Amino acid sequence: MSYAVELIDISKRYGTVQALDSVSLKVKQGSIHAVVGENGAGKTTLMKALYGAMHPDSGTIDLFGKRHTFAGSAQAIEAGVGMVSQHYGIIGELSCLENLIVGSEGSGVLNLKGAEERANELAKKMGFEFDWKAEASTLSPAGAQKLEILKLLWRNSQIMILDEPTAMLSPADSDALFESLSNLAKEGATILVVTHRLPEVFGYCDEVTVLRGGKWIAAMPVAETDPESLAKAIVGGELVQRPPLSTETGAPALLTVSDLSVKGPKGNLQLKNCSFQIRKGELVGIAGVDGSGQRELFQALMGTTRPVSGSIRFVQGATEQDWTNLPTRERLKQGLRIIPEDRLAEAVIEEWSLIENATLGLQRIPPFDKLSGNAVEPEALKIADLFNTKRGSLNDAMSGLSGGNQQRFVAARALLYDPALVLAFQPARGLDLNSTARVYSKIRELCDTGTSALVVSFDLDELLEYCDRIVVLCSGEFSEPKPDEGRDRDAIGRLMVGAK
Amino acid sequence: MKKISPQVWIVVAAGIAVILGALVLAKANPAEAIRTLGTGSFGSMRALSGTLKETTPLLVAGCAVYLALQAGLFNIGVEGQLVMGACTASAVGVKMPTPAGFFVGCAAAMIVGGLWALPAGWIKAYRGGHEVITTIMLNNIAIYLTDALVIGPLKDPAAAYPTTESLSKATRLASAVKANDLQINFALLVGVGIAVGMAIWLKKTKPGYELRATGANATAAKFAGVDTKRVTLSAMVVSGAIGGLAGALMVFAHEFRFYQGFSPGYGFDALGVALLAGSSSFGLLPSALFFGALAKGGTALAALSIPKGITTLTLGVVVLAFAAVRYGRKAKGGGDGA
Repeated sequence: MSYAVELIDISKRYGTVQALDSVSLKVKQGSIHAVVGENGAGKTTLMKALYGAMHPDSGTIDLFGKRHTFAGSAQAIEAGVGMVSQHYGIIGELSCLENLIVGSEGSGVLNLKGAEERANELAKKMGFEFDWKAEASTLSPAGAQKLEILKLLWRNSQIMILDEPTAMLSPADSDALFESLSNLAKEGATILVVTHRLPEVFGYCDEVTVLRGGKWIAAMPVAETDPESLAKAIVGGELVQRPPLSTETGAPALLTVSDLSVKGPKGNLQLKNCSFQIRKGELVGIAGVDGSGQRELFQALMGTTRPVSGSIRFVQGATEQDWTNLPTRERLKQGLRIIPEDRLAEAVIEEWSLIENATLGLQRIPPFDKLSGNAVEPEALKIADLFNTKRGSLNDAMSGLSGGNQQRFVAARALLYDPALVLAFQPARGLDLNSTARVYSKIRELCDTGTSALVVSFDLDELLEYCDRIVVLCSGEFSEPKPDEGRDRDAIGRLMVGAK
Repeated sequence: MKKISPQVWIVVAAGIAVILGALVLAKANPAEAIRTLGTGSFGSMRALSGTLKETTPLLVAGCAVYLALQAGLFNIGVEGQLVMGACTASAVGVKMPTPAGFFVGCAAAMIVGGLWALPAGWIKAYRGGHEVITTIMLNNIAIYLTDALVIGPLKDPAAAYPTTESLSKATRLASAVKANDLQINFALLVGVGIAVGMAIWLKKTKPGYELRATGANATAAKFAGVDTKRVTLSAMVVSGAIGGLAGALMVFAHEFRFYQGFSPGYGFDALGVALLAGSSSFGLLPSALFFGALAKGGTALAALSIPKGITTLTLGVVVLAFAAVRYGRKAKGGGDGA
């Protein structure tokens, strides 16, 4: 059997961190190969070596039996390797078609008409539909993901790398994506998928390689393993237990939202007359496909967007506070904590140190209100240690951390300092199994002492696992499953797409 | 400290080549030119005093630019704020020939400088208009407005050219050090105080932290409860006030009047001062001194009939090389995924 990809004994060291320690990876042509492991296991680093974005300290790269040394991604692309990273490379101001061909326009005059024909052909083959003239900023995350895959096809990539491709997608979109990947593999494409979601591995992948702490742990055909033993291989021990759900229903309301309507960035109503209550100590999940009004609801609850109508009331101690137009700063003082959706854009300042980032959002809250400079260090250490953020020095820039470790830091910062209400938008984004369980266990622990939490996730299974109660947003409208269907996956799934 | 990339060395080498080439074109001996530049700026107590005098407005105006820069604003308008401040200060100083005139003049200059920056700050914060455009436009208005004032109502009737009357001795700012040929005015100490105070304020206080957060990532700052619009507006206004103070200090310490063509572009050089200062406002001190030395040394070069422009060229090259080092490092510093 010939291998499309053979990475042998790849090692890479960043400063004091051995990111990869003689890791090998062999992928058969025409197969889907999953690369799994915890945060910081070295998955992305290994993929970067294959994509030419990182030059390994040692090791060899063979593609279709031919030895390659990549000085940069351009050479890897030339050799037929394409990669879709966790952060999409879509340029919002350009049209979908322009995005498709950017970087491979050829020379001379741009032939958009010819390009559109070929684009349509490729899209048809994949079963995608695109309005090629539309601005790319109008694409949903699923649409952007599809466009990224077409970009790879456009460049005739034979080896396609997808780094956590379904992190932002609804279950239906994820399934559709993997169906298309399977078809591509049948036609001879070689596909590598970095993922944390085991159902994807067992549903669609042919083989799987497990990494842990920069080392190769195991590789096997998916048919020869099962979810439990794979999970154990990933974490290198037993899994963290899921926290039990709470059945307490008698607590008083902490947050009351009435008839809330909020406009989206384009000026249209994205959240329509939404009313609900969260009781003290409750962990509530909001299910819904991306773009159903979750962002607008969060912005209104945080105070970064003013609602068009309706009210938000919050109970602090014994007094009810009107939050409808209260500045974010005051809400934070009353105990609001946020785990934002986009950690780089919304939650951290990349070029700042971990110490400086520890204060962000807590700067007016004890003990941070009295601390400055290096006096913050012990608190930063607490934050970094809560979920074992893998890091160098606390004085190093946040940008040096991997995405998952940044997420651990951001989650810990929101959960450590007496939160009364936690708003978490995809808190497990980029987190592995055990880290996800640890973050939710901490939230559960807080809820047991009277904190409430509202969690948005596009992963319904995650919500079903961890939340006491699930509510649904669909096209900006709020609904709740019938009392006896509160944990019924199919019933909630129907509400998510607007079917009764 | 990361390894400096080869491109940076190319920029630095190219810069040195440009300067030497320009000196040769000016038919000067490069070694002699550099020696003259050195003696002209630091060679004697008199030269040093001149350098420090040039340093003063550059330092204060540099502080103004630096503060705005920390809030993510590019205040090109310091030149305008500086002349507005200087014009205000000399108008007040002429009317109040007492020591109190100094304090009232400085306060008035700061208020006028702040007000001059206010429209740019407001448009940026609440209407999304870019501050570079608005401050450049405000510069032109300021320069022509002060010209009109000093040609018209503020003109000293006895003078042949457009200038205000001279300030009385009582209003002038004294020298802090006056030993033989060495003179250091109190104004320089004020500048040092602002730079040091600002460094501490930015690093140690909550408003300073929130200002830096706004400048580094406005969305994250907003999510962290910072009223970023208010921070933007106030940073611009305070920056303008410091710019106005720079003008006032020039009037009270060295010029003792306001005249047409008052500033040779200190407000613009201040952009380079702030850029070169790096990541702490303590850096403004050596940076302003460097710019001041080149300005003073440049006049000595003129005696060798080397055009003064050569120092401007040097500055340009230095700023470019510095930006290449600093931002080159930033581009390389990107994170790697897990």
